[in-house]
Amino acid sequence: MAAIGSAVGLGNVWRFPFVCYDNGGGAFLIPYFVALFTAGIPLMILEFSVGHWARSSPPNAFKKINKKWEWAGWWTVLMPFIVAIYYIVIMSWCFSYMIYSLDLRWGETADSFFKAFLGDTGSPLVFGGISIPVILGLIAIWFVVFFILYKGVERIGKVVALTVPLPTILLIILTIRGLTLPGALDGVSYYLTPNFSKLLDANVWLAAYAQVFFSLSLAQGIMITYASFLKKKSDLTNNAFIISLADAGTSFLAGFTVFSVVGYLAMNQGISIENLGTQIAGPNLTFITYPTAISLLPFAAAFFGFIFFIALLTFGIDSAFSMIEPISCSLNEKWKISKAKATGVMCIIGFLFSLMFSAGNGLHLLEIVDHFVANFGLVMIGLVECLVLGWMYTLSKLREHTNQTSDIKIGRWWEFLIKFVVPAVLFTLLVVSIVQNITNPYMGYPWWLIVVVGVTPLVTVFALSFILMKIKSEEEAAA
Amino acid sequence: MSLPLSAIVMLVFGCVVLYGGLAYFIYRALKKR
Repeated sequence: MAAIGSAVGLGNVWRFPFVCYDNGGGAFLIPYFVALFTAGIPLMILEFSVGHWARSSPPNAFKKINKKWEWAGWWTVLMPFIVAIYYIVIMSWCFSYMIYSLDLRWGETADSFFKAFLGDTGSPLVFGGISIPVILGLIAIWFVVFFILYKGVERIGKVVALTVPLPTILLIILTIRGLTLPGALDGVSYYLTPNFSKLLDANVWLAAYAQVFFSLSLAQGIMITYASFLKKKSDLTNNAFIISLADAGTSFLAGFTVFSVVGYLAMNQGISIENLGTQIAGPNLTFITYPTAISLLPFAAAFFGFIFFIALLTFGIDSAFSMIEPISCSLNEKWKISKAKATGVMCIIGFLFSLMFSAGNGLHLLEIVDHFVANFGLVMIGLVECLVLGWMYTLSKLREHTNQTSDIKIGRWWEFLIKFVVPAVLFTLLVVSIVQNITNPYMGYPWWLIVVVGVTPLVTVFALSFILMKIKSEEEAAA
Repeated sequence: MSLPLSAIVMLVFGCVVLYGGLAYFIYRALKKR
């Protein structure tokens, strides 16, 4: 349940519909399903297998494979911590919007309201003022994350019993409401009608693999950590299928939630959906387009606004604490730092770094960090994970371990996918991203800014993983 | 306006693979308990 909560997050609600729309609508579903079954599920099985076999946090699991690979484990737990730092900023915006939705405070000018709320300066280079609502939201969310985690897995179990089914039910309610609006079918038609010519475009396939990869919380040490808590006789393969399909199913459903409302909005404004295209990307969709559509609802607008943002918050909270859990577990395992202390320290550090996104240039800095962490950081970790586990370790041993506890036996095809297919796809993704970023610097920003804001966190985390490996635990020092 | 046939095919395909698959694996997990 916790793993489902981790996989299903904000990315399912706003990222999937936009990526799908941008890559051929219904035609995107074909590469998406191929990616899910050839990379997503095999990698999910791999991470489950490693965590369950090692029964420890990622650094220790990699250390058990070979002492010199411990850094790779630290790398996988540090990267989601970086993600959490800006992920919780978006949750803080949701928190404020949840309150604003009670009186539809954005009115009919959601665009300018969002800019005023952030104190947006329009440039990453202009600092601007600090947004107090964002800071208050950050304090609230980081405190909730700490409160859920500090007592360990028992409390996580209780929390996810509420935060996994609740947002799904709310999403279903929103979808039903959306589909009963005039113009909704136009939006759904836009979402589902395939444009098969897009299947010949390599970028569409890359986008599908990237979406599956990031949406399932792979290469972040999260699934390895959660699998280490599973009972010895847990069916690993079945669990991997359930989590992957629940995640993809939520994304598919969110497509209807969003596109039905987009169709309604287009009809109301008397413009075609094509003209809304640029408005349905990332933060714009959640904080401008959707609120605008909510304001136009004929009745109970505040109610539907409120449940939309509370659904986002509850979807996000599981993902947020699952990003902190691997690092605090790893600190606890290596240096015997109490779980409460490790979680507290990481939450305070995370909160302090989150503050850099609370100024008027926060949105732009967040977009830069997200772009580099998602396109480079996670892909590189996934690639290293496949190479270490596929080539430096006898993969058949992990397959045997998985098959011992699973009803559905995985064959040699799985080893082939982990050794060849997934690394080839990730390597291609990486090369394409590097070439694109060199030829066209992200958003046309100056190089020094890209290096400072986008590349520095990646390099720091990489270096830190070696430092953490080198610092000896008490047991190692005594030996 | 009605949905084009190709959109209906994608709808059925998505529902069968994702929700059908999810229901099947949840059923297997419950049966094992």
